[in-house]
Amino acid sequence: MTELPKALQEFKPNEASERTELQRRRDRWFRALCLAVGCSSIAILFLLLVSIAYQGSSSLNGTFLSASHDPENPARAGMYPSIVGSVILCTLCAIISLPIGVAAAVYLEEFQPKNRWLLRLHGLVQLNIANLAGVPSVVYGLLGLTLFVYMFQLFGKLEQNQVSGIDFWGIQRYYQFVTADDLAVIFVLMDESRESTLKIESVRPAFDTNFRPIELQVWDPATPQPTDPEVLGRTVRKGDVGALVEIYSWYYFRLPFGPSLLAAALTLSLVILPIIVIASQEALRAVPSSMREASAGMGATRWQTTQQVTLPAALPGVLTGAILAMGRAIGEAAPIFVVLGGNIAKRTGPEHLMDSCVTMPILIFAWADNPVEQYRQLAAAAIIVLVALLLVMNSMAIYLRGRS
Amino acid sequence: MNRGLPIPSALEQKRYRPTGSARRSERIVVALLMACALGTIALSVLIVLMLLRESWSFFSSPNVSLTQFLFGTRWTALEVRDLEKVEFGIWPLLSGTLRVTGIAMLIAWPMGLITAIYLSEFASNRVRKILKPSLEILAGIPTVVFGYFAVLLISPGLQWISPSFDTFNATSAGIAVGILCLPLVCSLAEDALSAVPTSLREAVYSLGGTRMNTALNVVLPSALSGVISAMLLAFSRALGETMVVALAAGTLATFTLDPRQQSQTMTGFIVEMLKSDLEYGTVQYYSLFGVALALFVITFVMTLLGQLIRRRYREVYQ
Amino acid sequence: MSEPNTNAANSKNALEAPRILIENFDAWYGDFHALQNIGAKIAANQVTALIGPSGCGKSTLLKWMNRMNDLVPSARSGGTMRIGDLDILAPTTDVVALRRVVGMVFQKPNPFPKSIYDNVAFGPRLHFKISQADMDELVEWSLRKAALWDEVKDRLRKPALSLSGGQQQRLCIARTIAIGPEVLLMDEPCSALDPASTAKIEDLIYELRANYTIVIVTHNMQQASRCSDTTLFFLQGKVVESGPTQELFTRPKLKQTEDYVTGKYG
Repeated sequence: MTELPKALQEFKPNEASERTELQRRRDRWFRALCLAVGCSSIAILFLLLVSIAYQGSSSLNGTFLSASHDPENPARAGMYPSIVGSVILCTLCAIISLPIGVAAAVYLEEFQPKNRWLLRLHGLVQLNIANLAGVPSVVYGLLGLTLFVYMFQLFGKLEQNQVSGIDFWGIQRYYQFVTADDLAVIFVLMDESRESTLKIESVRPAFDTNFRPIELQVWDPATPQPTDPEVLGRTVRKGDVGALVEIYSWYYFRLPFGPSLLAAALTLSLVILPIIVIASQEALRAVPSSMREASAGMGATRWQTTQQVTLPAALPGVLTGAILAMGRAIGEAAPIFVVLGGNIAKRTGPEHLMDSCVTMPILIFAWADNPVEQYRQLAAAAIIVLVALLLVMNSMAIYLRGRS
Repeated sequence: MNRGLPIPSALEQKRYRPTGSARRSERIVVALLMACALGTIALSVLIVLMLLRESWSFFSSPNVSLTQFLFGTRWTALEVRDLEKVEFGIWPLLSGTLRVTGIAMLIAWPMGLITAIYLSEFASNRVRKILKPSLEILAGIPTVVFGYFAVLLISPGLQWISPSFDTFNATSAGIAVGILCLPLVCSLAEDALSAVPTSLREAVYSLGGTRMNTALNVVLPSALSGVISAMLLAFSRALGETMVVALAAGTLATFTLDPRQQSQTMTGFIVEMLKSDLEYGTVQYYSLFGVALALFVITFVMTLLGQLIRRRYREVYQ
Repeated sequence: MSEPNTNAANSKNALEAPRILIENFDAWYGDFHALQNIGAKIAANQVTALIGPSGCGKSTLLKWMNRMNDLVPSARSGGTMRIGDLDILAPTTDVVALRRVVGMVFQKPNPFPKSIYDNVAFGPRLHFKISQADMDELVEWSLRKAALWDEVKDRLRKPALSLSGGQQQRLCIARTIAIGPEVLLMDEPCSALDPASTAKIEDLIYELRANYTIVIVTHNMQQASRCSDTTLFFLQGKVVESGPTQELFTRPKLKQTEDYVTGKYG
């Protein structure tokens, strides 16, 4: 046995405890520092919420929730179109990215290949998804701009305020005329000529304001005016010039998409796709492998196991991730700003897939950027609505997570 | 007693479903799933192609030189309309981005890391129950709200401290971005810290160590790769942050170290260019793709580095 | 250093002046009464084995001996547990000082992800203010004591995680004795190891007995009989039988003890 080393021979209880005392003092200080820093993040959150509530609560009323943006009078401005726009956009986003994201996660977690090269590809996909999650959202916006809005200009150059491209379906073009009694408007269907105006000379298929077909009468102002008010209601003056109007159905579709709801939804789907994949993978990983083995042991194939056992077990986790991703989508401003531009002068929510759209973050951005003080207060009020919506979504996610 | 039970007809006849159809449909499903997974690679390829193609329209213009872009210290794409006189030097934008990001990281790194250490090593359940949800809420707040917060509160606060601050300045944007990145650093670092096995903590206590010894001498070094990766990912997030800087950092591209001045960042420039009336197709317009390419390359390298560190050095515990 | 006395003489002296004295000791986890009215005397410079089926409370007792249970929020205790003059359970007791005297080796080897040298030097750096030369000496001494020096002397700067399981466990023992404890607690130190490594650790435990008071929890009857001097048999939170190991294994007084040591009991 070797001799006891000097350090242990000279073991002086007093000196050691002095050092211990030092350690313990440091421990107390460090703990206090940690507590202070930890609590400061709560303080910041509190400060943020209180200052915004203070700034915005006075503007928050019924008019604010039901009106649309008013560039002249902040007192009459509201955020209704942006609420509808955000909700529709977010829903579309979920419909597009959820199936793809979950499918990719299922492939990555449940169908790991045995082949060495495929395994390497697998690792590459995994790394790629982690990297996609780190790509700035404004870059996704630029991708959306070139890929969806302009489509690399394959369909001709898209100028501002001028629509070019190819319409597929869901569009009706009419010429608009005022009736002879000046009381109503009727529409005449456009024919093959594709002129931008029509000088009416003869009877053509026509529709009233509710797009019910009517029997058109053409009245030559040189002849006496028809007296029957019913007939007068479907009569136009001969030689009147009707301007072109375009009526879109909700399924209207065109290429390229232009700055439209669909382009924004597709872009935003790309932004949240990696988030959904990563969250779903975590949920699938949390399912104990004994469950998979039990199913496989009864002769189920891998897809049957996934479909019947693993996915149902992972569903609460997948949904939690999906809701959090939706929260990200609803608050995301940069890619939508790039795709749709900062225009907030829209009176309704989007009415068809190619319609423009205002979302809450864009509205907040535009109002916060406005030099007029009242609009900034409106921005605070809109933030309250947005944060309230997000809190509802988050508490749903927490509830689901508690159940899983 | 049960021997007399008749065998159920299903078992007696053994009319199994043919396994072939299940296997065939399995193959189709796997192909579909694989297509979705490979689609994410296609997405990356598309991003790179888009950036290269569109920025080629910028770099191939006779008025633009790559040397000037990489080393020039003046950026006047928005101010000067005459294409002959526009200067495209990335440094004002890059320095603006780095100023804002640097200030943000001065806040997010230490605060996020200390909060993570507190959560994983010290916090009682009661404190954790308050602290964790507030961090989650903070993480869920949209970035445009932080931008508004910077304009509404941080900037006036800074001007109250020292009137030399511009209304729009790098510091207020940096502080807001820092607060925004704090939950990200904290949650990723806490994941790394809690992955350190309890047995190591027990070993320190059994040697007479304090909690601080445990946290700083053992847990933190063991989780270092995860912590560094968290910091890099937050850095990359701050580089790409758009709405906060668009609202709070100002619209003037300045090449300076002064954090009190306006400082347009790369993302801020992209937003300003889209807001301007310059049309799609002009060289100035395409310059935003050149800026976006530079931004993409920097964030991509940061994220990749963060991910690789996380994988390569993740300690293998038994 | 004196050679260890014979078992019998040693245990006689020791029990007159026990190193650790436990009287009327109770322990709870929340509402669960894990240990009931335990009384025991742990003799100095002996190996005391705690045996019994899983969940009988032997590990709980071990963890109270250096207050590791402080980390479990729901753990409470009552009664007396003293080491020399020091009351282990008193809330005022300096746990850091206690743990310097009572070291612990865990079930699974748990070296820090640092170098071999830094693992051993970790504890001394916390507690001593010593020169580099003294530190080198201390590390070498600890590794020699743990019978690991010859295997690692050429690679002290290599990561500890590169060692085999048995070597890691001996490293953990070296780490523990480097701060000069008097008592070593071992919680199933061989359960995660292969037979060859187990044999080495058992030899080591037998050697270390000369300088340390050792308490070992084990599920392995052979191990208890091979390397311990005294054995306490636990059943459902109580000490059912205790005595010199030879006696307890060859002539148990109770039927339950016999069943357990011969392997009939679950």
